[in-house]
Amino acid sequence: MDKNIKISVKDLSLYFGAFQALKHITIDIPEREVTALIGPSGCGKSTFVKTLNRMNDLVDGVKVTGEVNYNGMNLLDKNTDVVALRKEIGMVFQKPNPFPKSIYDNIAYGPRVHGVHDKKRLDEIVERSLKHAALWEEVSDRLHESALRLSGGQQQRLCIARLLAVEPDVLLMDEPCSALDPIATSKIEDLIWELRRDYTIIIVTHNMQQAARVSQSTAFFLLGEMIEYSPTTDLFERPKDPRTEGYVTGKFG
Amino acid sequence: MVRIKYVKKLEDLKDNVEKMGHSAMRSLDYIIKALKTNDTALAKKVIAHDAEIDKLDKIIESQCISLLALEQPMAGDLRVIATSLKMITDLERIGDEAEDIAEEMLMMDRPIRVAISETTFDEMVQKVRGMVADSIKTYAQGDVETARTFESRDDEIDSLYKKIVSDFLNTVADRSCPPEFVRDIASVIYIIRYLERIADHAVNIGCRVLYMVEGERLYMR
Repeated sequence: MDKNIKISVKDLSLYFGAFQALKHITIDIPEREVTALIGPSGCGKSTFVKTLNRMNDLVDGVKVTGEVNYNGMNLLDKNTDVVALRKEIGMVFQKPNPFPKSIYDNIAYGPRVHGVHDKKRLDEIVERSLKHAALWEEVSDRLHESALRLSGGQQQRLCIARLLAVEPDVLLMDEPCSALDPIATSKIEDLIWELRRDYTIIIVTHNMQQAARVSQSTAFFLLGEMIEYSPTTDLFERPKDPRTEGYVTGKFG
Repeated sequence: MVRIKYVKKLEDLKDNVEKMGHSAMRSLDYIIKALKTNDTALAKKVIAHDAEIDKLDKIIESQCISLLALEQPMAGDLRVIATSLKMITDLERIGDEAEDIAEEMLMMDRPIRVAISETTFDEMVQKVRGMVADSIKTYAQGDVETARTFESRDDEIDSLYKKIVSDFLNTVADRSCPPEFVRDIASVIYIIRYLERIADHAVNIGCRVLYMVEGERLYMR
């Protein structure tokens, strides 16, 4: 079955100075699916993901070639409004990073920056986002407490809710569960499974079982190259490339 | 190489599956010899021997589940474990069918006296034996080329089975056939039916080996 493509990457290469961190990556990310990126440390998967919302621009000496086509434009173009881009393509990081503010203000921050000041509207956005992130039930009676008092798993869901508040199109998740315990991880994975109905999600993970659990497609990266990209079942059951086989069976990496 | 303990566990699993294959093969060889020489003591040995096959079945199942639970195998390793888990069912059934043949033999208190075309019966027996022996080898060696031959070889066995049954039914239809021979014919039909089923299990093993090596799924018999 043909899929709608949300992001189309063509011959993407990235250099940190003389070091080539990404080598001629070509991949189509389907819409409203979870795509997992796996590979050993230093393979380029986080670098790749950060290219999709131009976070790598913040690194001195970075050079990018190729195309990343999103909504009919190449987002690597120098005229791209990166602020607007990062609203559309939001990101969650390995370590939860709530602002040192109340739970409410964490969620309301993004909409306020984008011009929403009506209290009733903000209340609706906060409630909807927290519900969407499966956190409302746990915090609805203490929205004005500090977000820093939440557990690690709750903080990560808060970060996801914060992302959802600005109505993104794509969610980038860079090892979102690495710092969490198994139960918190399970809740995030359940949340990812729910969110995929409405968002295109790309998740970087070291945990192959997690990639197998949550994603429909998986890409294996190694030394800056994308070695294999397949439906998740195929990649983990019968990978085509022996390097993929070696990595997923734990024989190296 | 990493995961030394895990790799050893996989090797042990494969060794045990091969061991179970050889044990099922022994049952088949014993019963073939018992039929040829009308050796009822050997037929009893086949029945007793089935316990060894059943024991290995349980050990291997336990190994597979342990590997799945504790090691999260993927790719080729996962296919080896999945194949092993299914294949032992076919091997266990081969043992059961050999045991059924032995019981059929022992139910008759005298040698089979019907005029079985020795050539046809022997031919069928040797083809079945060959397939079972080859099926165990295909697993051990990952030999997909041989595995792909099983379907056509099984078709030959099915043809021989139909011919033998047809010949016997014609004999029964002949009113001059003595009644005690009818009982013998029924027993032989049961016996060759069990042999035909043993060949089907060898085909299943071949299909599973194809999946194990190439990830290709084919229909079983």
